[in-house]
Amino acid sequence: MVDMESTSERSGAGIPPGEMGLIDFAVREHRSLWGDAWRRLISSNTARLGLVIVAIFVLSAVLAHFFWEYDPKIDLDYSLKLKAPNLVATEEIEGIHPFGTDKLGRDVFRRVVHGGWNSLRVGIVAVGISLLIGGLLGLAAGFYESMPLSRGGRMVLFGGIGLVLGGLLGWIAGQLFQALLFCLLGMAAGFFEELWAGKPERTLFFSGTGLLLGGGLALWVSPYTATACGVLGLLIGGLVARPLGGSLVANIIMRLMDIILAFPGILLAIAIVAMLGPGLDKGMIAIGFVGIPVYARLVRSTVLSVVQEEYVAAALSVGVGQGRILFRHIVPNTLSPIIVQSTMGLASAILWAGALGFLGLGAIPPEPEWGAMLGDSYRFLTTGAWWAVLFPGLAIMLSVLGFNLLGDGLRDALDPRLRL
Amino acid sequence: MTRYIVSRLISMIPTLVGVTVVIFLFLRLIPGDPAVAMLGEHAGQENVERIREQLGLNRPQFLDREALEQGDVKGFFDSQYLRYLGRLFRGDLGASIHRRIPIAETLKERFPATAELALVSILIGVMVGVTAGIVSAARRNSVLDASSMIGSLMGVSIPIYWLGLMEMMVFAVALDWLPIGGRLDHDIELEVVTNFYLIDSIVTGNGPALANTLQHLALPAVALATHPMSIIARMTRSSMLDVLSADYIRTAHSKGLREGVVLFRHALKNAFLPVITIIGLQTGTLLAGAILTETIFAWPGIGKWVYDAILGRDYPIVQGGTLLIALIFVIVNLLVDVSYAFIDPRIHYD
Repeated sequence: MVDMESTSERSGAGIPPGEMGLIDFAVREHRSLWGDAWRRLISSNTARLGLVIVAIFVLSAVLAHFFWEYDPKIDLDYSLKLKAPNLVATEEIEGIHPFGTDKLGRDVFRRVVHGGWNSLRVGIVAVGISLLIGGLLGLAAGFYESMPLSRGGRMVLFGGIGLVLGGLLGWIAGQLFQALLFCLLGMAAGFFEELWAGKPERTLFFSGTGLLLGGGLALWVSPYTATACGVLGLLIGGLVARPLGGSLVANIIMRLMDIILAFPGILLAIAIVAMLGPGLDKGMIAIGFVGIPVYARLVRSTVLSVVQEEYVAAALSVGVGQGRILFRHIVPNTLSPIIVQSTMGLASAILWAGALGFLGLGAIPPEPEWGAMLGDSYRFLTTGAWWAVLFPGLAIMLSVLGFNLLGDGLRDALDPRLRL
Repeated sequence: MTRYIVSRLISMIPTLVGVTVVIFLFLRLIPGDPAVAMLGEHAGQENVERIREQLGLNRPQFLDREALEQGDVKGFFDSQYLRYLGRLFRGDLGASIHRRIPIAETLKERFPATAELALVSILIGVMVGVTAGIVSAARRNSVLDASSMIGSLMGVSIPIYWLGLMEMMVFAVALDWLPIGGRLDHDIELEVVTNFYLIDSIVTGNGPALANTLQHLALPAVALATHPMSIIARMTRSSMLDVLSADYIRTAHSKGLREGVVLFRHALKNAFLPVITIIGLQTGTLLAGAILTETIFAWPGIGKWVYDAILGRDYPIVQGGTLLIALIFVIVNLLVDVSYAFIDPRIHYD
């Protein structure tokens, strides 16, 4: 109502309020959500600029990869070592090297263009990893924080608790099948949630069973082991007897995310690469892993706000199942923040990949990659060979800038109210 | 308030225990044996075994189930991880495997180097970033606004290691105005008190050392400040724009107050909360060590130290250094949350 009145005020024509809304509705062509967003996106200058930059980098990388043959292993020519950029061929240098040559006489321009393929690939795969894992974790955390667990959900949760804690116990006693027994115990506790609900009998029953399962079976290892396992079994039984809800799942997930977040990203990425060994694919895993909490937090907070919406309450009240609510109502509404974050995430993943490459932990030489090219060449800065450092860095900066501009534009286009 | 802080401190414990487990596990998963790394590849088997025993590497990692079978309860808990935790609680961070220097001693030298660089950078970042943000918001859509926002977009997009190299190329190599790396020239004498060279040179009244320290700080600090500066500028601008459209700002204007008064007394105060968050987070990140900046400028801080230790399998350094870094991170976040209550009286923690 308020909206309609303000529309008629603005137009100032002699149309009575009320009808203006109708006319507006009739005249406006029907567009889809995404079509609308696309129009808003390309109407912004900065977003268009971002789109153009991204398109140039993606196209040049893809075209170079498929149509411009390059074998880094045989590409070297010591006679052309560290030559300054030239745009016309001379007697001394036959080829044209618009970006100069590096310490092995390789054409920097060629390597920058081919390096784009590697850098973009790292960015995309890394964001894919963080998005997939982080998104699912965030979805689970947000959903279970706000919804009661169904019987099946309880069985999975309690069975999982039994399996993990029982695994510890089974390891101590050297009988791993005990983990399965505790998994079953947990599932039973989840299934019979009504059984003596809230009464001491329930705790007594489950912790007693836990004591027997843990201690009794460990008896033929040694009495000491049996005592330790009995105590553990008692505790596990007591735990699953309690009415633990979905917020437990959410808590566990978010605490794990806090642990990852407590490390500075670059340090964690270096540690992972040190563990897995250097290489572009290891770099992707490392960067992807470090990004998981970002997406988990984003998706969780989005889910928490979507669950508050009336259409979710309406769906619940007419008896729509949890799974259907999750996939029909909640997931589609988390898409726009995810798209925005992923675009920005691509920018930072390219930066990270460059940093790892610079430290010598990314692409294995002689594979071209922007960060590795910087790391290769920066020692020659003092000899005046600025071109081997300038151009790869410029490539990183421009591509990152492109994705950032595009991300900014997408944020404004997809949801003007959204501020990340 | 006290209750909130205490409960936050308690909730930090599981996170920090998790951090120690992660650090411990990661180091064990990194291929390579520190005993071999220490003795060299051609060391005899028995020497390696002896060193492994000295370092406790022959113990099980978490719990010793065989000791329990024998009824040795103390032995059950005598594992690498629990020994490490036990030492940690006694404040003993151990000693570097390669150089045998206690971690705590090196930290005393290295942490101030990192902290000095980080604090100077964040100071630059806040001063320039907040100013640019306010100006942009006050003169929205002007040339100033556009250029400062383009600048800040470039700032978040630039790889700082590359920016550092470019600075070095221009100011240290081509123009030769500033030193290329390190904290202090070798021929400058400075009596070390706190290891913060700025403070040390002021306290001891050492003018040349102060000037030299500042010269050394300039390039790395600007490189490190660029990223936080840009983020702070963007955040200040958007937060100020939000506030400037509020009714009480219009009221203030209509009372005929000067624009400076409206901007600083009315708007900035209310716009500052999200900016504080960003400043806090960025300070945490910078204090945690700038591995790349420290590498390029040969800055003897903790970032470079831990990085070298990861590659050299120096377990105690990585454990001690990373734990300190994580601790700083978590504490800075807590301080940011607590500071809300002081800045914004509407926020209560009860």
